[in-house]
Order: sequence, then structure tokens, then C-alpha cells
Amino acid sequence: MSRATRTRSIILPLAVGAAFLATWHAAVRITGSTLFPTPMDVVRGFVELQGRGLLLRYIVASLFRVSWGFGLAVLVGVPLGLLMGWFRWVFEALNPLVQMFRPISPIAWIPVAILWFGVTDIAPIFLIFLAAVFPITVSSAAAVANIQPVYVRAARNFELSGLQLFRQVILPATLPQIITGLRIALGIAWLVVVAAEMIAVNSGLGYLIIDARNAGKRYDLVVAGMVMIGLIGLLLDLAVRRVERTPSLRWGYASRSD
Amino acid sequence: MGIFARYAATAVVWLAAISVLHGWLNLNAFQARRAGADGGKKTFKIGFLPVTCHLTCPVTDFINRSMTGSNIYEPIRFSGWPELKEAFLAGHTEATFILAPLAMKLREDGIKMKIVYLGHRDGTALMVHKDSDIYRIEDLRGKTVAVPNRYSNQRLLIFKALRDRNIPFDEVKLVEMPPPDMPAALSVKAVDGITSGEPFMGQTELDGYGRILYLTKDVWPEFISCVLAVREDVIEKDRERVQDLVNGIAKSGKWIDQSMDHRMQAAKFVSKNYYNQHPRLLEFVLSKPPDRVKYTNLAVRRPDFEEIEELARTAGILEGKVHFDDYCDPSFVRDDATIEAFQFEAPR
Repeated sequence: MSRATRTRSIILPLAVGAAFLATWHAAVRITGSTLFPTPMDVVRGFVELQGRGLLLRYIVASLFRVSWGFGLAVLVGVPLGLLMGWFRWVFEALNPLVQMFRPISPIAWIPVAILWFGVTDIAPIFLIFLAAVFPITVSSAAAVANIQPVYVRAARNFELSGLQLFRQVILPATLPQIITGLRIALGIAWLVVVAAEMIAVNSGLGYLIIDARNAGKRYDLVVAGMVMIGLIGLLLDLAVRRVERTPSLRWGYASRSD
Repeated sequence: MGIFARYAATAVVWLAAISVLHGWLNLNAFQARRAGADGGKKTFKIGFLPVTCHLTCPVTDFINRSMTGSNIYEPIRFSGWPELKEAFLAGHTEATFILAPLAMKLREDGIKMKIVYLGHRDGTALMVHKDSDIYRIEDLRGKTVAVPNRYSNQRLLIFKALRDRNIPFDEVKLVEMPPPDMPAALSVKAVDGITSGEPFMGQTELDGYGRILYLTKDVWPEFISCVLAVREDVIEKDRERVQDLVNGIAKSGKWIDQSMDHRMQAAKFVSKNYYNQHPRLLEFVLSKPPDRVKYTNLAVRRPDFEEIEELARTAGILEGKVHFDDYCDPSFVRDDATIEAFQFEAPR
């Protein structure tokens, strides 16, 4: 990357961000809204949260639930997807069920989560798991199904089979696509944190939003929660992109990006 | 496979670190348990929402903790009716504050539970926008009003107000809306009127865009909206604890109503420790006017429930299969004139 493009990649988003904040501020002022906060109100909301020692606690709580929900989804979704992609009969057996569960919003699962897991941390983790596991399964299955047949044939010519074939050919061949699937699923997992924390937990960024709605006219805190979720979402995406760029994983992507 | 091992190790370290942090910051997992906090028994959980209808729940908890240093039960704060109800049905909370008609409906659906005490009297308003042309209940014809839940007494209250004026029920359109969303909806005139428990109604007055069409005492004096319900198996197994709980709730109710000073103390410590609201909000609804919501005369009485039952049947939300003796157990406090207020002053 040349210096000019590097500078551009910093200046451009900053300028767009500044324009966005200015428009936001102007829109609140022009409409004379007394309920919707200006960017400065939100900053003051952040300062208040920090002062009460809540910001870090809530961030940790949400990350905790998303980490476990997403982690379990990876442990279940990737193997399941690989099996579905490799064995036709597994696919035929499970695909209708997976496709049926996939479009059900985590919000619809809230009553079930409460009935099964009560008001503990397990209920939101369960909801986040549900939101993430199906995209992971589907993308892993597609990754295996899309392997170039020539790889598999070549591997068979070398008399690879079973675990060896899986470790030395299938896994490396499918990884780039699986990781893209994981990145999308992580986004979804983080997306449902608000819905998941509607259940009576007493911490987390989603809880912050719901709590602020209960607290009277605290829409500054509602928006502060939204901003925090957005910022952490950005960081998570950057982290997964770094994993994607690991040379041994990104062979499938030539030099398209950056 | 080195790279996999590395990523797996990173993931495990991250999960462990975030779990320890969460346990430390949010679950108090590493604090020594307070001695005798629950006397070795499983904690007794009570569901409640951050509304004035449930005020005696946090007040009792706060006074108990302050006076004895221990908690006889653990209040669990929910964000909405459905979650509160589901946790109660699934047995995750032993007792809960709940809308009276919703409790009666659950009993009709075969849920074994009993109403043992009332949460409050009055404490509801119907608010309209200050610019609106609604000045009398008759003006509600053709308008849209938001109610918290179809099984809420606020809905029955509108029915009663309309029936008293011979206005057919279907001339007012009722929509269900979570109370926290009501002030904003009224402010942008998405609905013509809103009615729910406090402090959400008082908030619209405080913020300058809401006007009271009626307070409960104008339409249905001694109105009941929320009650304390306990699962029957809990009453059978642990009657003594339920008795302690009801006594505590009754004593706090008396304490709140003893003086305006006590109300202001309650507004302060409940806002800060339980509701996360600005104290001004609770101070406002507990004082303007002082009889906006009341916490005495809370024993369970037959005629009150017969009236609710009759209205609920007319409104079509109850079938009339169950009656007072099925869903009420008035034996814990038969007459709250016999109850003395807590002797308590909150630390300033």
C-alpha cells in the first residue's frame, strides 16, 4: 500500500464519520426534538456510565455471552457442516431441519430460553448460540460441497483416505470459505446481543439499552449502548479479518483485498 | 497444524479470561458470601418490574437488608410482562408481582398459584398529549389508546370508564405497548392516549408534553392493578417464608404511606439501587398528588376481585371459570389494620 492510499484509508472514513455526526447534530437541532439526544448528549452519557463504573462491566458481560454462544456454535456448527457437505445422506437427513430452524429469529426463542434456562446467563448464551450455529453449519457444508473434485481425485491417487484426506486436503481447501462464514456468523452473534439480554440479566450492553428505556427519558444511554455495540462490532470484524489474512488460510483469495 | 493449535489456544485463553472478568465484575463470584445471607436455604426469588405498582418489593428488600443485614428473598427485576410471567410459570421465581387479571387468567389456564396480597391501590393515569382535543372521556371516541397488556387492569379501567358513559367498547381502539415505550409514542403523537402504571405517566407530565385525562381515583377509586402471586407448591412447602414475605410487604406499604418524608426516602433509595431511574421521577409520582398511588388497604378482599372478574368477563379476557377462592389466599394478612409499619429511617 502506498503512502497516499494509506492516508486516504484513514482520512476518508474519518471525514464520513464527522459528516455523519454533524448531520445527526443538525437534525436534532432543526427538528427541535427534546427526546432524541445529540452526539454530545451521548458522549455525556458515556462519561456518566464510565463514572458509575458500568461501561467496562457491561462490555465484559456482553463479550462473555457472545464468546460462549459463538464458541459453542463453532464447536457444533463446523463439524456438522463438514459432515453434511461430505456425506450426501447426512445432508439429505439434516438439511430440511437446519433450513427450518435457520430463519427463526432469536427473539422468538426468548420464551423457550426462559422456560428452559430461567434467568441465568445460560439463556442469552443459548440465544446467541442459536443465532450463530445455523449460518456456520450452512457455510461449512457449502464449503465442502464446493471443493474442486480434482483435489479429491488427486488425493485419492496418492492413496490418501479417512482422517489423512480430511486433514491434508479437505480442511485446507475449505478453510477460507469456512472462515468467511464464521466472520458473518460472529456479526450475527453480536447483532442479537440486545435481544438476548432482554431476559432478566442485570448486565450487558443490550441490558443497558433495555434498562435505559425503563429509566424514563434516558435515550442518551440507549444511543450510547447502540454506539458501543457498533464500535465493538467493528473491532470484532477487524480481528476476524486479521485471522483471514493469515497466509496459510488465505490462499483462496489471491490478492483481491488490500 | 501449528496454526490451528495456536488459534485454539487463543480462543481458550480468551474464553477463560472473559469468564473470569465477568465473574469478577458482574457476578461477584469471588466475594466471600455474606454470612447468613440466606441461612443456607435456597434463595426465594420475587419477580418485579421497575414501576410504582411494585414499589413495596424493593422497599421491603432494602429495609430488610438495612435492618437485619440479610435478605429473606431476592428481588429479580424484569424488563417486561412476558419475561416476568414466563420465569414465574417455569418456576424460576417462587413469587411475583403481576397484573391482577393476568394472574386470574393464569389460574383459569390451570396454573397453580394464589394471589396473597395487593401491590398497591390506584397509581394509574390516562395521559393525552397537551395539544390534543381530548378533554373528557367521551372525547376518546375514535381515538387510539396504548395499554400495557390485554390482561392489564388499565384496559379494564377504560372499559369501566366507557361503560359508565354508555359508550360501546369498540369505539376506542386499544393497542398493546410496553410501558417504557409509551412516553415517546405520546410525544410524537403516534397514539392519542397512553395508560400504564407509574412512573411512565408522570414522566410525560414532567417532560411537559403530557396532560392527565383521568387519574384512577376519578374513575375507579381504590383501583387495583398489580398483586403479589405465589405458586401453590411454595405456599404448601414453605408457608412460614411466604408469611414473612407478606408481612414484610405489608409493613413496607404502611411505612411508605406513613409520611411524605418516607415516600421521598423510598424514591431515593429505590431509584438508586433498584430502578436505575432519576429520583425526580419517583419523587414526582409519589407526591403529585400524594394519593396518586397508595400502599395501604392492601389485604385481599372478595368484593374487589368480584368486580374485576365481572369486568374482565365483559371485556372478554376471562371465561369466568375460576373465582375468588380459586385464585386468592387472603389468610396471610386478613386485615392490614393489624399491621404496623416498619420502624425505619433510610440513611441520608
